[in-house]
Amino acid sequence: MPDGKLFGQPAIRIDGRAKVTGRARYPSDEVVANPAWAFLVTSAIARGRIRGFDLQEARAVPGLLDILTHDNVGGEAEKPQPMSGGSTTPTLESDQICHDGQIIGIVVAESFEAAREAAHKVRVDYEVQQASASFDSPGAEEEVREAGEHKDYQVGDAEAAFAAAEVTIDARYGTPTQHHNAIELFTTTCEWRDGKLTVYEPSQFVYGLRGSLAKQLRMEPGDIHVVSRFVGGAFGSKGGITARTAWIAIAARRLNRPVKLVPTRDQGFTIATYRAETRHHIQLGATPDGKLTSFRHEGWEVTSRPSQYNVSGTETTARIYACPNILTKVNLVHADRNTPGFMRAPPDTPYMFPLESAMDELAAALNMDPIELRRINDTQTDPATGKPYSSRCLMRCYDEGAARFGWQRRDARPGTMRDGEWLVGWGCATAAYPANIGPAAARVTLSPEGRARVQIAAHDIGTGAYTVVAITAADRLGLELGQVVVEMGDTDLPAAGLAAGSSHTAGISHAVAKACEGIRARLAEAAVLSNDGPMAGLDPASLVLSAGMLRGPAGQSEEIQKALGRAASGVLEVYAENLPKGVPPDAMGKIYQGQMAMSRGHGREDAITYAFGAQFVEVRVHARTREVRVPRAVGAFASGTIVNPLTAHSQYMGGMIWGIGAALHEATEIDPREARYVNDNIAEYLIPVNSDVRSIEVIMVPEEDSQVNPLGIKGIGEVGIVGMNAAIANAVWHATGRRVRELPIRMEHLL
Amino acid sequence: MRPFAYEQAGDSSAALRMTANRGASAQYLAGGTNLLDLMKIGVAKPVALVDIGPLRADHASISVDADGLHLGALVRMAEAAEHPDVLRDYPVIAQSLQLAASQQLRNMATLGGNVLQRTRCNYFRDPSWHACNKRDPGTGCAAMDGVNRRLAVLGTSAHCIAHYPGDFANALAALGAEVTLLSPEGTTRRILFEELHRLPGDTPHQETNLHPGELILGFHVPAGPWTRRSLYLKIRDRESYDFAQASAAVALAVVDGTIQQARIGLGGVATKPWRSHAAEAVLQGQRLDEALAHAAAEAAFRDAVTHGENAFKPELGRRTLMRALLQAATMEIQPNA
Amino acid sequence: MATDIMLTVNGGQHRLAVDVRTTLLDALRERLDLTGSKKGCDLGQCGACTVLMDGRRVLSCLTLAVAAQGAEVTTIEGLAGEHDPLHPMQQAFLEQDAYQCGYCTPGQIISAIACVKEGHANSADEIREYMSGNLCRCAAYPKIVAAVQQAKPLMKGR
Repeated sequence: MPDGKLFGQPAIRIDGRAKVTGRARYPSDEVVANPAWAFLVTSAIARGRIRGFDLQEARAVPGLLDILTHDNVGGEAEKPQPMSGGSTTPTLESDQICHDGQIIGIVVAESFEAAREAAHKVRVDYEVQQASASFDSPGAEEEVREAGEHKDYQVGDAEAAFAAAEVTIDARYGTPTQHHNAIELFTTTCEWRDGKLTVYEPSQFVYGLRGSLAKQLRMEPGDIHVVSRFVGGAFGSKGGITARTAWIAIAARRLNRPVKLVPTRDQGFTIATYRAETRHHIQLGATPDGKLTSFRHEGWEVTSRPSQYNVSGTETTARIYACPNILTKVNLVHADRNTPGFMRAPPDTPYMFPLESAMDELAAALNMDPIELRRINDTQTDPATGKPYSSRCLMRCYDEGAARFGWQRRDARPGTMRDGEWLVGWGCATAAYPANIGPAAARVTLSPEGRARVQIAAHDIGTGAYTVVAITAADRLGLELGQVVVEMGDTDLPAAGLAAGSSHTAGISHAVAKACEGIRARLAEAAVLSNDGPMAGLDPASLVLSAGMLRGPAGQSEEIQKALGRAASGVLEVYAENLPKGVPPDAMGKIYQGQMAMSRGHGREDAITYAFGAQFVEVRVHARTREVRVPRAVGAFASGTIVNPLTAHSQYMGGMIWGIGAALHEATEIDPREARYVNDNIAEYLIPVNSDVRSIEVIMVPEEDSQVNPLGIKGIGEVGIVGMNAAIANAVWHATGRRVRELPIRMEHLL
Repeated sequence: MRPFAYEQAGDSSAALRMTANRGASAQYLAGGTNLLDLMKIGVAKPVALVDIGPLRADHASISVDADGLHLGALVRMAEAAEHPDVLRDYPVIAQSLQLAASQQLRNMATLGGNVLQRTRCNYFRDPSWHACNKRDPGTGCAAMDGVNRRLAVLGTSAHCIAHYPGDFANALAALGAEVTLLSPEGTTRRILFEELHRLPGDTPHQETNLHPGELILGFHVPAGPWTRRSLYLKIRDRESYDFAQASAAVALAVVDGTIQQARIGLGGVATKPWRSHAAEAVLQGQRLDEALAHAAAEAAFRDAVTHGENAFKPELGRRTLMRALLQAATMEIQPNA
Repeated sequence: MATDIMLTVNGGQHRLAVDVRTTLLDALRERLDLTGSKKGCDLGQCGACTVLMDGRRVLSCLTLAVAAQGAEVTTIEGLAGEHDPLHPMQQAFLEQDAYQCGYCTPGQIISAIACVKEGHANSADEIREYMSGNLCRCAAYPKIVAAVQQAKPLMKGR
């Protein structure tokens, strides 16, 4: 645990003033001289090939500068390599079309308006082939997912145990296609100078973007500079590199002029990733007193034709409850779709919905309180591997959440709690998310004025990472928060990994803390070696930095500026790398090369590391017209050390509201005949608005865990969404007696 | 978006002249909230925009007199939604505006423009879909067997099921409003608002009975003993900032528990702003109860035609109308003067 | 195609030659380097581009620059200079942590100021309804409501 004074104290974001004054520069806000404007041409079919283009009308648009297609630039860049799942679909490399909205051309003009006009005037002659949209579409190919990146679990004999069980639940569930729809668009600006490329693009992994781009463009990584100082929402969508970047770089090189791309909202649905639709078959067997005897979970996920991308949330569902017989399996269904990718709690959001719905169904079948059912099956040992959890406070979360929510006032019979015209229902569900951590490097510079500069290529996607870094440095160096300057989001800085998987705070805090420890050690060594100082001859390990002073064990102290003067003639600079437990020795090098390296909560030898939570929801369903509203929700979470409770609260709260959207609103509609997205805008792809959200209560259950990592930090960005789907579905059942197993839950399901 | 000529008209006669000079594909620009977006996505392609913003000087008044409610075409949605006389005497009008869009859009959009709002059918709004009889006559209808959860079940044809997405117009239709139009020749005519929009039939691209270059100047909502007992109920997936899955505009004149007259409009379910005379006839002279409300709702949706995903809409529409009727019957009002 | 226009933004006058198709949003961002107003949809669906025109909150993505002439435009940059004290609404957003990524924030703050000035901030429910035109994907909504409530009494006389 940190001995810190600043850890756990709510701190206003250090980048807050920039954000509230409009002066925070998101990548498309960065100034480049005299940019040309790009506009994407995307395919209007999902499968086939391009016979040819008619560019005559487009070329006639005043201000047109260039049109890139596979004909003229196809050989100049390779496809990007996704972070997960192997290969992906092409763009301008060939004449092949593999999904709706695929980039097939890029128009560049003097102005945004001219580029858009010309792009709309590009005529494409397609050779159309019948496309497969999703599950059940003719031509979709199903295969069993091989164990590789993700594992299957088989413990005991789940089939026999299910057949023998006295109480069983056997049900199928489904979750829809969803798109991140961060408010910031997928912008890219590229500028060349003397053969070197600068890319301004919102990114959750600037080194990853650089590394991939170098391979795609056959350049040295050192000749590419990626800048992403602020990111306007990501939620996974800006983690992997997309194809657009290389083509914009090529467009800028061809013109010898900076090129800016601001794609449209609908293009964002097809040029980046999304959460694919899933299906599930769950079988639970239990004794009459509620002990689970069998757990089977089979999942199906859609992916693109070439990709093996899958999320395999059975890696979480297999280890939530004690059960002697476990069997999991995941299948992939290849369709003519863009390749899916990470979206907030990628495995756990779709896979915990069926488990936690089924648990609610089991509780009803047993005539047992749903929390009691979880308590009976709680465990401190992972049933899938037999390893201990480093910490698991699930039932404390349930107890604290239930008390705050008033769960004991719930009438268990569905349809009995009514308020005027509204049917009221209460539901709960478990949330869980692995505590992941990646390697990171940081440079800390202490100046003669007693101020610190921290440099780390970390990413603040809204999580409060700037402030976490400042808190860590200030805490470790004994400075005020205002005495720390933080630079992030730039490949000129020491590398940090992908800001995803709720791993970033843990990863970067340890790197910054380590660099700060280097500063302390250097100051301490100089202090004990100087004959005229108050700490001469002391053990350097016994000296600490606090409140602007270097202090000894017996109350000796010296101002940090003076201590610095003994250690360095100017500034004191320390670079440090942190390799967390569970990552391979070459992981830091991988990060510098732009590859992902992360220790996962279910991948360690010594323990399973997870954050847990309990989520409670009240829904109201209108008795006549059946629209569903969520007047209140309570989430209690145990995620180890909370660095900044102010921003942590926002993260949990945002995750819970995402859950409201996921359960009730969000679904990308796909035309089944043409495999094309239909509601590709944010007037019809519904995300919650302010009036959809009323009371959201967040409880941070204290949890100390020195095994997960030295600072005891588990991630918080994703666990908040995980239980919401099921908690809402369970509450809808409680309100109406209807069990909805397909999301989103809409009025037509309840009429 | 192709380039266009932009001119600002100082008054209505200048607007007519400018539009006439530019020919058939000139368009009036008022709030721009449903024209600029359609231009950006390549659906609307005017060669000229005649900005009629300055016409606010003459056509942006709101007044209530014995004759009814008079609304200038350039009144902004937010202005009418929050006008105290409208709120008191014509709550269904105020609510239909208040429940639409967002405050930013209501601050921009005008009443004249709002009633001309185009469908939200996504096959119409995306020219990369080939088949859309409304956008490109004769190409077919991709929505008929496609993603059509939001689309219409009343007033549809074999050529188009695109819904009319607005709210205010349903209230106007219900209350028997008239719309005043200024022809390019400078003469004005008044038609029943219900006759402004056309059914799709086999010409879904022709959405209104406006003559080329004709300009909406304003609306008149006739007074009547039903206007104060009126409301707009909008059922939608989101709590706010969402189009109706179903809505009902209801106005009732009730004496001693008996409905003397009823005015019924429906939204989110029809191809044009919708008045249900059939439902009104069921209600007239009867005492409202659950059974009567149900009978009126049945009548309103008797001719509904569904297309797969929107199969729930008649039932939702019926329930929406029933809820609105029962709510209107018991709402507290000051009696009409 | 270029048209000469005069825009009044944050009290300053700017003469510009623009393509007639240029929106007020693009003119602010790309010509005047006022990048606080954001593009999130360009179709009037998200509210990130909200600015004040003659005191009314409007969407700058659905406003032609050429049609914005003669109006007083206020953007987020016009609320407080780089070293000035913050507007009470900005201060409230800061203190309530009424944002995460910050991208929709300038639009939220402009909208929130208008919400108070319109008289639509009398209850939490009213604020929720009248702030629903500004999408926040990070979902800071409850804190946005709290920020409006915090700032409202401090805005008297502004």
